[in-house]
Amino acid sequence: MGLLRGFAVTFRQMFQRPVTNQYVIGTGEKAPKPERLHGRHVLNRYEDGMEKCIGCELCAGVCPARCIYVRGADNPEDDPVSPGERYGYVYEINYLRCIHCDLCVEACPTEAITETKLFEFSFTSREDAVYTKDELLVDDDGMPRHMPWEDWRPGEDEHTSAWMRATSPSGSAAFEGRVAWTGELGYGVRSPEAAQADKDAVTVPADDDDHGHDDHDDHDHGGGDH
Amino acid sequence: MAEDTTVDAAPDVVDDGVAVTIDGTEVRARKGELLIDAAERHGVYIPRFCYHERMRPVGMCRMCIVEVDTGRGPSLQPSCMLECTPDMVVDTTSEVTRKAQEGVLEFLLVNHPLDCPVCDKGGECPLQDQTMSNGPGESRYIEQKRHLEKPIPISDLVLLDRERCILCDRCTRFASEVAGDPLIHFLHRGNHTEVNTFPDEPFASYFSGNTVQICPVGALTATSYRFKARPWDLTQTESTCQSCSVGCRVAVQASRNEVLRILGVDVDPVNWGWLCDKGRFDFEAINSDERLAAPLVRQGDELAPAGWAQALRQAADALSGALDSGGPVSIGVLGGARLTNEDAYAWTRFAKGVLGTDNCDAQLGDGLPPEVVLGLPRATIDEVCRPGGTVVVVGPDPKEELPVLFLRLRHAVVEAGATLIEVAPARSGISDYATVTLTHRPGEVAEVVRALVGETGQSSDLGGADASAVGRARALLDQADGDVCVVLGRPSVAESADFVTDAASVLQRALPGARFLSALRRSNVHGALDMGLAPGLLPGRVRLEDSGAEFAEAWGAVPATVGLDAHGMLTAAAEGRLSVLVLLGADPLADFPDRHLAERALATVPTIVASDLFLTESSARAHVVLPAAGFAECEGTTTNLEGRVSVLGQKVTPPGTARSDWMIAAELARLMGHDLGLESPAAIWDEICTLAPSHRGVTTDLLRSTDSDAGVLVPLEREEPAPADVDSTDGVAAEDVAEAAVDQAAADDTLEAQAAEAEGVAAAAEQVAAEEAGELAEEAAADGPVEDGAEEAVASRGPATLRFDGIPAVTLAPRDAYSLRLVATRKLYDQGTGVQQSAQLAPLAPGSVLRLNRYDFERLGVEEGSVVRVASARGALRVPVVVDAGVPRGAAAVYVNQPGLAATSLVDAAAAVTEVRVETGIDS
Repeated sequence: MGLLRGFAVTFRQMFQRPVTNQYVIGTGEKAPKPERLHGRHVLNRYEDGMEKCIGCELCAGVCPARCIYVRGADNPEDDPVSPGERYGYVYEINYLRCIHCDLCVEACPTEAITETKLFEFSFTSREDAVYTKDELLVDDDGMPRHMPWEDWRPGEDEHTSAWMRATSPSGSAAFEGRVAWTGELGYGVRSPEAAQADKDAVTVPADDDDHGHDDHDDHDHGGGDH
Repeated sequence: MAEDTTVDAAPDVVDDGVAVTIDGTEVRARKGELLIDAAERHGVYIPRFCYHERMRPVGMCRMCIVEVDTGRGPSLQPSCMLECTPDMVVDTTSEVTRKAQEGVLEFLLVNHPLDCPVCDKGGECPLQDQTMSNGPGESRYIEQKRHLEKPIPISDLVLLDRERCILCDRCTRFASEVAGDPLIHFLHRGNHTEVNTFPDEPFASYFSGNTVQICPVGALTATSYRFKARPWDLTQTESTCQSCSVGCRVAVQASRNEVLRILGVDVDPVNWGWLCDKGRFDFEAINSDERLAAPLVRQGDELAPAGWAQALRQAADALSGALDSGGPVSIGVLGGARLTNEDAYAWTRFAKGVLGTDNCDAQLGDGLPPEVVLGLPRATIDEVCRPGGTVVVVGPDPKEELPVLFLRLRHAVVEAGATLIEVAPARSGISDYATVTLTHRPGEVAEVVRALVGETGQSSDLGGADASAVGRARALLDQADGDVCVVLGRPSVAESADFVTDAASVLQRALPGARFLSALRRSNVHGALDMGLAPGLLPGRVRLEDSGAEFAEAWGAVPATVGLDAHGMLTAAAEGRLSVLVLLGADPLADFPDRHLAERALATVPTIVASDLFLTESSARAHVVLPAAGFAECEGTTTNLEGRVSVLGQKVTPPGTARSDWMIAAELARLMGHDLGLESPAAIWDEICTLAPSHRGVTTDLLRSTDSDAGVLVPLEREEPAPADVDSTDGVAAEDVAEAAVDQAAADDTLEAQAAEAEGVAAAAEQVAAEEAGELAEEAAADGPVEDGAEEAVASRGPATLRFDGIPAVTLAPRDAYSLRLVATRKLYDQGTGVQQSAQLAPLAPGSVLRLNRYDFERLGVEEGSVVRVASARGALRVPVVVDAGVPRGAAAVYVNQPGLAATSLVDAAAAVTEVRVETGIDS
């Protein structure tokens, strides 16, 4: 009897609307992603095609998941890979370990590594999960390389590490909106994220500030204008 | 220097200190101690860039500025230039101090490029660290910084980035004060001041790598480490350098199972933090692609890779076959200086206990007899370099063969008022510092030494040395304050070792209190000799004839007769009397003084078994080649030229299936039906401590205790040349010392630090003594009545270890007037595998020319640098000839083991000296 009672629940559920949201499959569409989502990394180039990475290993040093392996090397004098003396000779990220915390992006002194919003990628082998420089480095047009197992949609390369572009030196609000980064091949100088005051003006009625203010980037500005 | 004062002050615990107040705490500074040192000793670290405790202070960087009140009100003063004075009040954290230090840093950073992410120093940079801890936090500087070409190579090994330089004067002071190679200096003035070399004169110093280590910024970087790793990638282990026998302590740093850097560790008795460039940079050989990674077995003319089982079986069969056909005397074991102490012991036990052959020699005919090395009263480096002491150097050029010993000797002479008398066949790197240099004709060193100690016989020309110089040297020796120390080695491989042995006999006889420091060069040759890898010896510096019975009991068997040394073995091999020759990291073709003999020996001997890191010229002729684990790849201990045992660290795994030599010995023994019962280096060491009389009490615990950072001198109980009244046991003596120290401390409680130190030392000594006593008791119980006599001897004055009693004078036929006598010496960089397999060092081997005195050169009537034919009874070579004022008349000098010249093919190892004729007018 108990068995039937148990199955009763099952049968009842069979005729109810599923709670699951269809994602990509079925709809063919991805859900809109927050501007600051952390996805798959890219290694950027300067607008002249030089690599931004200098092989300094600060990303590897800060990585809490220990998923980055970098080795630097002396830039060949006749055909330099990056400006300066040193370049990233080996660059590997193991996506089986990466937790997309973005600390590598924060540590990078040259904005060489940033994160796109792509997270729809999966692998069938461990080798595929270790992205090397060949996969991470943007192509000759500055566009991220598309691996066969990655589902890229237009615009997912646009807002790379947007939160970084909103962060100001020393966290001082005086620098808000000021560009302090270099241009990227294919995209030029990315524009700064809208200033907090502007966002507040758009999303929140001016008279009601504290309630219903659900912006996820609230604390990024540390209440600079509150 | 500060350490000298401490050494002098420690024993009689006299309170000559001064009371100073540092940050509100009253502390006791030593008399004449610099404020920066006194503060650090009491836990207050004052930031600094230019100050280095092993060099004279200059006060260049101003970073160590602190607020000091000496009774006239507080003022800012650099603490590295300020000796502590009574009642000085120091504030290292005051607002004024903080502001001054911030200011200094701001100025230092004005022209510093802040390229930390690409800088090799980034992450371990004192400028970075102190900017974080003492800096202003934010820069006000927005103007363009200075730009200079970077990096510029100032030597083959060191790169200079002048933008990063903060002009602290450390590297330039090191070059002139410590190394004595003042090849880098400040150029220009004011804002344009920079460190650089002089035009067309590279920083070609054997010690250039030290400047990289002491540079407080990334201005000086090493080519071999350039962009290889960041500090946070590296893990390190402490070890002892194996490039020569000085035994400098090093930190071996590796990342991802690859050794990337060697740094010097500051230990007081040995290297003071310094390293030579060979020791610092020859680690690249560890990672060489040419390392042997699998055993090789000869198939016809080829060496083919094989499995360990096959290779070991083939070696064991050859050894068994030799035992069956020719007996133990048909087997020879050559080499062993590369091995750790444990490896050497395992091989001695295998060779002498299992094979039963006494044909073992860790030296390759280019050293000295073991009784001279081990049997003379031995000196430590500190004793040799005693302030105000007198040193006689009879041996090779320390700068070329034992570079860090050269630094210590140079310091003793230049900074500590020591007197150095050099006796050498040609002027050497130390001649510039010697009070007197006596150059002798090859083979006549003993004549000079006789003249030096006033024993001159009939020979009136003093072995070719200058009579007035001999007179001055003799006067210096007579005025010597305290006992004389002798650095004793083999000055030239083109003459017999008997002459040095003779000289040692003379010195020992004439200077009864003299102590001797061996100048044998190969890494662990002293350890190998201690472990008995020499004919007639057994582990623990004892003779086969004296201690054979004890070892036979422990090992099962010992050789019946005394065997052959390297020369004897190679001669026997060449005459077809050897069936198997085992090469333990030995390359007789390159290193044995007589190349022709080595050639004939290796061509004749039916089976050669080689254990090596690389396929050398000799091991390429082997029938079985076994890949061995080398430096940083195996655990164990090593012994330096003082007899100081220190711990080696393993940092990486050996390539392929290469394994430690003790395992090879144990495996071969097992295949031949003997279980040595050796399971690990630690277990082997325990066996050594039990069996080897000189190593009693040197337990693993003692070696690894923090008090033994620099190693432990063996034997623990040192033999005094002038016997004192020994009526109390050591334990009591130690207690007395401890009690005295404690009483003293109680009397004056401001000296607690020193007292604690003394107590620690005493406690350690006590423990050692107790252990030793325990062990002896055990032994007595085990051995029973038969050993009573021996045990008594042990208890009263230690075991009967090797003793050198001198030899009768060696005579030499007079020189043929048409010939020159050959002097064959070594350079630091040569054809050795460590140098040749390191990409940065290999090109530095200078090659060899024939160096002649101007008198002999002019007799030839040729141009400088023209090629001549040098012929000896053994062979002939073509070599360019140059003038060298440092070579005495009648001698011809060459460097051995250099590219392009097989100098040893001129030498006959059986002859006393090598006479050569120089012929001109040959077609080049």
